[in-house]
Amino acid sequence: MIFENKKEKYLFTLPAIFMVSITIYLPFLISSYYSLTEWNGIDREAKFIGLENFKTIFFENNQFFDVLIFTGNYTALFMLFSNLFALIIALVLVQKLKTAKLLRGIFFVPYIMSMIIVGFIWKFIFSQGFARLYEITELGLLNLSWLGNSELAFYSVVLVGVWQQLGFYIVLYIAGLQAIPGDLLEAATVDGANIFQKFFKITLPLLGPSITVCMFMSLTRGLKVFDIILALTQGGPGGSTYSATLDIYREAFQYNNYGLGSAKAIIFFIIVLILTQIVLKISRRNEVEL
Amino acid sequence: MKRNSRLKINYFILEVIAIIAAAIFIYPVFLMFINSFKTFREVIIDVIALPQQLNIDNYFYVIDKMNYPRLFVNNILITAVGITGIVAFSSLAAYIIDRSRSRFTSLAFLFIITPMLIPFQTFMITLLKVMNIINLSGSRVGLGIQYWGFGIPMATFIYFNFMKTVPKEIDESAFIDGATTFQTFIYVIFPILKPVTATVIVLDVMWIWNDFLLPLLMVNDSQKTKTLVLAAYNFVGQYNTQWHYAMTAMVLAIVPSLIFFVLLQKYIVKGVVAGSLKG
Amino acid sequence: MRKMVVLLVAVMMLVGTFNVLAQTAEIDIFISMPEYADPINELIDTYQEEVNNEVEINYETTQSDYPTLLKVKLNSGDIPDLFASTSGKEIELYKEYSYDLSGEPMMDTMLPSVKKAMADADGNGVYGFAIKGNYFGLIYNKDLFAQAGIEKFPETISEMETAIEKLEAEGITPFTSGFSEWWVFKHLFQHFLVAAEDDVQALVRDFENGEASFSDYPVLEDNFFHFVDLVVEHGDNKILESSLNTEISQFATGQAAMVIGQGPWIEDSLIQIDPELNIGFTGYPVSEDPAESQVISGADQAVRVSSDSEDLDAVLDFVNWWYTSDYGKSWFTDVAGVVPPIEVEIPEDYYQIIQEGIKASEEKGSAPLAIIYSTDSFHSAFGEAMQTYVGGNATKAETIETIETKWQEIDGSN
Repeated sequence: MIFENKKEKYLFTLPAIFMVSITIYLPFLISSYYSLTEWNGIDREAKFIGLENFKTIFFENNQFFDVLIFTGNYTALFMLFSNLFALIIALVLVQKLKTAKLLRGIFFVPYIMSMIIVGFIWKFIFSQGFARLYEITELGLLNLSWLGNSELAFYSVVLVGVWQQLGFYIVLYIAGLQAIPGDLLEAATVDGANIFQKFFKITLPLLGPSITVCMFMSLTRGLKVFDIILALTQGGPGGSTYSATLDIYREAFQYNNYGLGSAKAIIFFIIVLILTQIVLKISRRNEVEL
Repeated sequence: MKRNSRLKINYFILEVIAIIAAAIFIYPVFLMFINSFKTFREVIIDVIALPQQLNIDNYFYVIDKMNYPRLFVNNILITAVGITGIVAFSSLAAYIIDRSRSRFTSLAFLFIITPMLIPFQTFMITLLKVMNIINLSGSRVGLGIQYWGFGIPMATFIYFNFMKTVPKEIDESAFIDGATTFQTFIYVIFPILKPVTATVIVLDVMWIWNDFLLPLLMVNDSQKTKTLVLAAYNFVGQYNTQWHYAMTAMVLAIVPSLIFFVLLQKYIVKGVVAGSLKG
Repeated sequence: MRKMVVLLVAVMMLVGTFNVLAQTAEIDIFISMPEYADPINELIDTYQEEVNNEVEINYETTQSDYPTLLKVKLNSGDIPDLFASTSGKEIELYKEYSYDLSGEPMMDTMLPSVKKAMADADGNGVYGFAIKGNYFGLIYNKDLFAQAGIEKFPETISEMETAIEKLEAEGITPFTSGFSEWWVFKHLFQHFLVAAEDDVQALVRDFENGEASFSDYPVLEDNFFHFVDLVVEHGDNKILESSLNTEISQFATGQAAMVIGQGPWIEDSLIQIDPELNIGFTGYPVSEDPAESQVISGADQAVRVSSDSEDLDAVLDFVNWWYTSDYGKSWFTDVAGVVPPIEVEIPEDYYQIIQEGIKASEEKGSAPLAIIYSTDSFHSAFGEAMQTYVGGNATKAETIETIETKWQEIDGSN
C-alpha cells in the first residue's frame, strides 16, 4: 500500500493525539494520582496513602456497588428503549407519509435542547403538570409520585433520558433504512415474503452498521448519565437515583473526599472500558458487509 | 384498484397514529412555551391552560436581565472555534488511520477514541488546573480550543466509519496524478467527506451550544464570557420560585438551536443519508 | 511534525496572553445566594459611583453546585476575592484561604452573634461577614388558623395535634413540607436539637465523636420523628416531590396552613401570589413544654475575604464601606430587605415574617442557630437519610443509625 512508509501517518494524527492528551489524558492521569491520596479537595497538600481508598471501596462500604447496579440498570433500559423505539419510529417515518418530514423534525427537537434544561422542564411536568392533568383526566397513573417514590424515580429518569436522546437514534436508523436497496425488498415481495419476514431476513441484518453505532453510542451515554439526574432528582429521593458519575461527583465535592472519588472514577473507567469493548466485539461480529 | 385503496387507508391510520405519538412526545416542550407567556399567578393556578393573553413582558424582562445579545455572541464564538478544530483534526486523523493501516495507526485510533469512555466528572478539577497553567480557562476562544480535545474522539470515530466506505482507488488515482497525501486529502477526500462533515458539524453544534459542565467550570466567572445555557441555568437558580421567568429563560436558551435545526434540517438528514449511501 | 507541535503551543500561548493582560484593582466576587443578586448589583453600582470608580468589580453568583465550583477555583489557584461558605463549622474548613477581619472597622457595627458565628474552631478570629441575619421557625397562615377556630398557635406537640384536627375538619391541609429538599430537614431538625441540650455546639461535637446518641435524648428520638410523621400524614400529597416551589404555591394559595423549614426568604414570593396573605411566624412545638417552642436566629451564611487576594486593600475598603457607610448600613433593610447583621433600626412596616420573628424572640427569647455547627456535607447526607425514612424505605432505628454514622464519618475528626 502506498501509505506504508510515509511520515503522514504520524503527522496527520498528531493534532488529534495532542489535543486529546492535554484536555483528557493529562488531567485524568493527575486525577489518578489523587486516587492514591487522602485529600478533601480544599487543603493545599494531599496526603499519599497508597491503595487505602480502593480498600475502602471494595471491603468497607458497599455503597459504590449499589450505585454501579443503578447505573447498569439504567444503561440497560436506556439502551433497550432508545434503540427499540428509535427503530420502530424510524420504520414508520421512512414510509410514504405526508407529514414524515415534519414528524422527523419533531422527534429530533429534544435532542437539540440542553440536558440541564430538559431536566428542569420534566421536573416541572412531573410535579405541576401531572398534578393538573390528573385533576382534569383523573388518570391514576398521573397521580403517582414519579419523582418522590424511589422505584418510580428510576423509571422517570430513564424516561427523560430516552426522551431527550431518541431523535438522535431515529436519524441514524432512518439513514440506515434508506441505505437498504429498494430492489432487494421488492424482490422479496415478489417472492411472496410478508412484512415480518422482510424485516427480519433483510432489513435487520442490513441495518448492522447503524445498530453498531447506535448501540455503542447509547451504551457510553447511558453509562455516563449525569446532567439529567442532576436537574431532575439530584440523586434523590433518599439517594436512590445516584448514577456512578453523580456518586463520584458527590464523593469528591459534597463529601469532600476527592481522593476516594478519584479512586471510584478509576474503577468506573475500567468497567466502562471492558463493557464497551464487549459490545463492540459482539455487534461487529453480527454485521453484514454490503 | 382495491389493494391500492386499502393500502391508502393503512397509510392514513399509520399517519394518524404517528401524529398523535409525536404530539404527546413534544407536549412538554409545548407546555414550556405556553407557560413562558403567562404571568406568575397564571402559572401557579393552572399550568395546562393556554395563556389568557399573549404576554411578552416576560421576554423583555429576561432578555434584559440575561444580557441576551452578548450571550448569543459568546455562544457563536465558542461554537465556531470548537467546530473548526474538531472537523479539521478529526477528518485528517480518520483519513490517515483508515488508509494507512499499521500498528501505529490502530493504536492511535484507540488512543483517540478511548476518551469517549472517560467520564468527564472524574477529572474536572485537574482539567481546570491544567487549563489555568496554559491559560485556556476564562476565555471564550480558550474554551473553544478545549472542545477540540473533547470533540475529536467522537468525530474521529464517525469519520473513520465513513472513511472505510470511500474506495481507495480514488486517492490512488490522485497520487498517480502527482498529488501529495495532504493535497489528496484537501482536494479529493475532504469534499467526498462533505456529508459526513455536515453530520459532525450538526452533532457538535448541538453539543457545544448546549454544553453545561465545561462552560460552568471555565467561563462562568464573568458576564462577558458566559454562555446561553449557563445564563439560563443561573437564571433558573436565581428565580427558581418564579416559573414564568424560568420558562422564558429556557425558551430563550433553546430557540437559537431550534432555528438552526429548522433551517438545516434538510441538510442534516441529507448529510447522514448521503454518507450512508456511499456504502 | 515538530512544527505542528510548536504551532499548536504557540496558538494556545497567544490566546493565553490575551487573558493575562489584566487591569488595575479588581475585585472578583463569587458567592452563593443568588436571591440577593439585584441588591448586590445595586450596592456595587453605588460603590463605584460614589466611592471608587477605579476599581473593577466582577460579581458572579450561583446556587446549585456552589461548593463544587468554589473548590475547583480554590484548587486551580483561581481564588475569588470574596467567596461564601456557611458559617460556624465551615469557617475552619476554608480558614487557610480566609482573611481574619477582626482588626477591621466593620467590627464596630457587626452584631456580636454574627462575629461568634464567624470564629474558627477554637473560637478565635472573625473569618467572614454576613450579608444577612436570619430567622428560622414555622410559617403559618393566620387567617386559616382563625377560620379553624384556633386562637393560640400550638406551642406543644399535643396542642399541635389538636390544631391539626381542627384544620382538617375545615378541609385545610395542615402542612406543606418541601421534603424533596435536603436542607429543609436541617432547618427543622435544629429546633429539636437546641431543645435537647443547652450547649448545642458541645452536643454536636459529641455526636461527631460518637459519644452522644439519639437514645439519650427523647426529644430527638421520639419527638422529632413523631413531628416528621405528623407532617407526612397531614401534609402534601406526593411528600417527596414537595419542593420549595410546592411550599410557596400551596401556602400562598391558601391550600396549606403551615410551611416547614422555611423563613423570611420566601416572603417576597408569597406576597407576589397573594399580597393580602396574613403571615404568622413562630417556633416549632418540640415537646410538651411551651417554653421550648422558640424561633431561632443567627447568621447562617458567611462571606469570606480571600487572604491571597492581590488587591486586598481594595477588597477591605469595599467590605468596610458595606458595613459602616450610611448607604451600606441602610442597604440591608432598604435595598436587600433582609434581617440586618448589624446594629440598625428595623423599619416599622418591614416584612411580616421578620417582624413576627423579632416579636417572638422578644416574648420568649430565641434559640441559637444550631445548623452552623455541622457542615452541609453532613446535612445533605442527613436529608437523604430522612427522605429514605419518609419514603418508607428505612425504619426509624435504621435512620437513626445512618445519621449517627454519617455524623462521625463526615464531620468527625478522623
